[in-house]
Amino acid sequence: MGVNETLANVSSDFMIAALLIYSLAVLAFAGDFAFGRPRRAAVAVKQQTRIAELASVGAGPAAGSAVSGGVPADGPRTTAPPPANVLPSRQASLSRAINDAGNWVRVAVALSVLGVTSHLIAVVTRGFAVHRAPWGNMYEFVTALTCVAGIFFVYVMLRYRAWSLGVFVMGAIVITLGLAETVIYTAAGPVVPALQSYWLSIHVTAMTLSTGIFFIAFVLGILYLTTDVYRARVAAGKAEPGNGLLERIPSAAQLDKLTYRTIIFGFPVWTFGVIAGAIWADEAWGHYWSWDPVETWAFITWVLYAAYLHARATGGWRGRRAHYIQIIGFASLAFNILVVQVFITGMHSYAGLG
Amino acid sequence: MFKVRRRVVVTAAAVLVVLLAVGVAVTFTGGDSQASDRKYIDGSTSAWLYTAGHRPPAPDFTGTTLTGAPIKFSSYKGKVVVLNFWASWCPPCRAEAPTLAVLSEKYARDGVSFLGDDVNDTPTNGLSFTRSIGITYPSVNDPSYQVVQDFGNAVLINDTPTTLVIDRTGHIAGVVYGAVTYSELDTMIHDVVSQ
Amino acid sequence: MTDVHAPASVNPGAPPQTPPEGGGSATPDSPRRPSGVPQQKNLPLWRWAWRQITSMRTALVLLFLLALGAIPGSIIPQTGNDPAQVQQYFISHPALAPWLSRFGLFDVYGSPWFAAIYLLLFISLVGCVVPRTFRLVGQSRTPPPKAPRFLGRLPHSATYVSPLPPQEAVAAAASVLGGHHFRLRTNVSTGTTPSSPPGKKADAGDKTFWLSAEKGYLREAGNLLFHLSLLGILICVAVGGLFGYKADKLLVEGQSYADTPSALDDFYPGRLATGSDLAPFDITLNNFTATYITSGQNAGQPAAYNANVTYTATSGGAAKTDDLQVNHPLNVDGVKVYLIGHGFAPVFSVTDAQGKVVYDQATPFIPADTSTMLSDGVVKAPNAAPEQLGFMGVFVPTAVEGSGGTLNSAFPAAENPAVSLIGYSGNLGMDSGLPQSVYQMDTTAMTKVAAQPHLMFPGQTWKLPNGLGSITFVGYKQWVSLTATYDPGQGPALAFAALALLGILVSFVVRRRRVFVRAVAADGNRGSILTVGGLARTDASGGFEEEFARLAAELAGTEPTNQSETGA
Repeated sequence: MGVNETLANVSSDFMIAALLIYSLAVLAFAGDFAFGRPRRAAVAVKQQTRIAELASVGAGPAAGSAVSGGVPADGPRTTAPPPANVLPSRQASLSRAINDAGNWVRVAVALSVLGVTSHLIAVVTRGFAVHRAPWGNMYEFVTALTCVAGIFFVYVMLRYRAWSLGVFVMGAIVITLGLAETVIYTAAGPVVPALQSYWLSIHVTAMTLSTGIFFIAFVLGILYLTTDVYRARVAAGKAEPGNGLLERIPSAAQLDKLTYRTIIFGFPVWTFGVIAGAIWADEAWGHYWSWDPVETWAFITWVLYAAYLHARATGGWRGRRAHYIQIIGFASLAFNILVVQVFITGMHSYAGLG
Repeated sequence: MFKVRRRVVVTAAAVLVVLLAVGVAVTFTGGDSQASDRKYIDGSTSAWLYTAGHRPPAPDFTGTTLTGAPIKFSSYKGKVVVLNFWASWCPPCRAEAPTLAVLSEKYARDGVSFLGDDVNDTPTNGLSFTRSIGITYPSVNDPSYQVVQDFGNAVLINDTPTTLVIDRTGHIAGVVYGAVTYSELDTMIHDVVSQ
Repeated sequence: MTDVHAPASVNPGAPPQTPPEGGGSATPDSPRRPSGVPQQKNLPLWRWAWRQITSMRTALVLLFLLALGAIPGSIIPQTGNDPAQVQQYFISHPALAPWLSRFGLFDVYGSPWFAAIYLLLFISLVGCVVPRTFRLVGQSRTPPPKAPRFLGRLPHSATYVSPLPPQEAVAAAASVLGGHHFRLRTNVSTGTTPSSPPGKKADAGDKTFWLSAEKGYLREAGNLLFHLSLLGILICVAVGGLFGYKADKLLVEGQSYADTPSALDDFYPGRLATGSDLAPFDITLNNFTATYITSGQNAGQPAAYNANVTYTATSGGAAKTDDLQVNHPLNVDGVKVYLIGHGFAPVFSVTDAQGKVVYDQATPFIPADTSTMLSDGVVKAPNAAPEQLGFMGVFVPTAVEGSGGTLNSAFPAAENPAVSLIGYSGNLGMDSGLPQSVYQMDTTAMTKVAAQPHLMFPGQTWKLPNGLGSITFVGYKQWVSLTATYDPGQGPALAFAALALLGILVSFVVRRRRVFVRAVAADGNRGSILTVGGLARTDASGGFEEEFARLAAELAGTEPTNQSETGA
């Protein structure tokens, strides 16, 4: 069960290609910011579009807050019944939306899709090269989770027309992947007996998926806080309105809702990953839960995201505070990957960095 | 209002049940079946004689001795047997061995048989020890604790050394956990022999 | 609970200050009341305390505490995971360690304060979830609230014209929504009703016709299932801790052991488990093989471990053979046996000054470096006379000369095995009766027989100086460490975990939503104008727009506009 060196090389080449294409995509997204057609970002949460279409009042922040988790709507609503023959209409198609967004976005979206494809090919060929799930060490884990983040973001971007988030999310992916390539690169090879189990595919896949999803939520959370702080400063007269950068990304309320949807997608996956890990632990170590440091931190992360979900339903904890919680949650996740798995000895010491 | 109060009561009851369950689970500790079936020797808590009618039957077993001779426990039927579980690597076993050697001589004429069960050991190590102490009675070669497991169904044997006194009817009459003292074991054998 | 409003009081058409979910009632996403000042004066203390503890804010704080409290256990060594590390910590931090111990920081997850956090959290959970369960049952029996007066104010609304008179139009709408499994409430009798005479207008007050429809109770049910399953998991963990056990055993090739307390190296019974609960199996280790990657960047990395064992499930039963591997435990009588570790056991034979063989056995050595399997061990020959003999040794599977002439190992497999021994004579201290470890030697009453360690290869004999005797390095065997565990709570815990996952998925996917219809007679003809309002009672409601549009279109008797481009 040796390593297929040809495939391993193919994988390496595609990974480097993905990194380069992502970098170009980030440039294109940044170019859109700098030179693109001026437009208010429309994270097309469809309901708002409809309300805006129907009554041309209550768009923007008011409609946003109406959907942001029980915050009382402070803007006017559609009070008059719409004309009898008007039923909710669909928004414009995707291709049209991309066309409308201008050349920079067109190029950036194309590059993102191309980069993600190359990234996916790299991960898959690595898996075929080593005859196992391609996340048996830290390097492989990081490349896989950034791949998930990339795919998930492209989906979010296309579905919600969130081009303006590209520079931030893709930027974070480029930095993470770049660090993986330079600092923790590990050549293709077989794994130790403890990892030779189909549970590697199940448990680590779920953890990789959810980490990639939470990564997106984390970036959205940072953007939310930035936007929200800026808005508050404007409201308090401490900042000039019309910051070009912040005006172009979606409103705080839209970011908040997007974050929530991202996290409720990631949370069950993480839960499943922890359960699968417990089953695997029972197969490999003799008990399904033994408070190994990595298990402990996975538990802490789970508790923090659970706290986020509860905070959104608690008066006085919505908005910024909830975002602090999910950012701390992601910090605990990152701490687990970067510190606990590398420096603290436990049964999960497979990072392959020693 | 009535409905509300009922909910409170039901909730409180549910919580109490859960608390009770957890509390019982956390604090409850299993105790040994106590004392009425046994008579402690010299105030010791690790050596006792079972009172008549409470003596568990000793299991039968076959094996080979350290010198390679076959041995059948059933051939001891009708005799008082002192069965000692030991090992040459176990310091308390080494410390009690001279006492066992002396008592085996003392009770030889009363028809009391001594038998060792050498666990997790090699015949070379075991024999060189018993010879150095001057023990003449045989020991079963029991590297895998098979005999201990057989007897473990009758009495709890948590560690070596453990010594059992078996009466003429083949029932376990007395137990000593840990290294025996001369007076303890002497009293026990005497009691069982004179019954 | 006093502040729980009956669902009928929910009024979605209330002024905008009220959240769309309605007046303070527990909604699926905000199930707990805000804590803080009691709403009623003269509230008994226990009611006030109960209210505090079951409030969402308390639950949040407890969740934080739980996360925070779990941290020290991942940093400070824990007795449950690594008792040797804890002992080491006591030696290296003599001042700090006793204090940490006092606060239970070496056994965080079994400590009273950690238990206090999670028990309080679960009390809070029960206090929240149980009333919600009753409420859900109540809601599923009561019809939805009356349709609000101004449906146009709802987040989703549409209007259509029907040729039927209002009463029949509403009845038709009811049958449409009923067909979609909505729970209905209406002031129209939904059977075959005679149409009201034309021109007779409904009275301005309560004589308009309306319909309320609600769907998605599963959301709350899933949420409750999730929380109750967590409670189930906690109980299963407790059951495992009470009745389960864990047993460790080191076994050399060719040796057997019968599963009985004294045969075990370590036995950790649950609080209600004893040695007599052990399953009566026995296991023989026939041989053990470790294979390693021999070349390339990963040379020396283990590739596979295999322990070939023969076992009998019950005394006197049929013997079976199994290949025990990492990730492939052996299941005997509901007990799982795991391959946890492995090592080398060099075989020594010791002859004393009188020429008698006093020691002959495979002696397990403990790996000091698992990447090279350089291992330490002691050989104690207490039967040697006149002086007892002892040896401290290092075993290397692939001998190479390290820096400064020390013995080192180049590879974890036995390609060139060797031992290096330091010999001692004197009193090993084993005859005093005080227990001592078989892996350690007390040399206080012993003297070295030679200044230098003695290097030996298999088959070689070292004649000790001064006629003290000799030791022969006969060869080596391998050993494995096995762990046997029994946990009756494990299966149910998995079932509850699966239920929890199912519950949370349902609660995230299903929307609780209401659709309302009101009809007024159209002026001048038999037809009527109907307003449809929609309300999704959660902010995770992505997709309700589409569903509402489809329903509205179906009610209006038109085809829904589909995904194809309409604006072009």
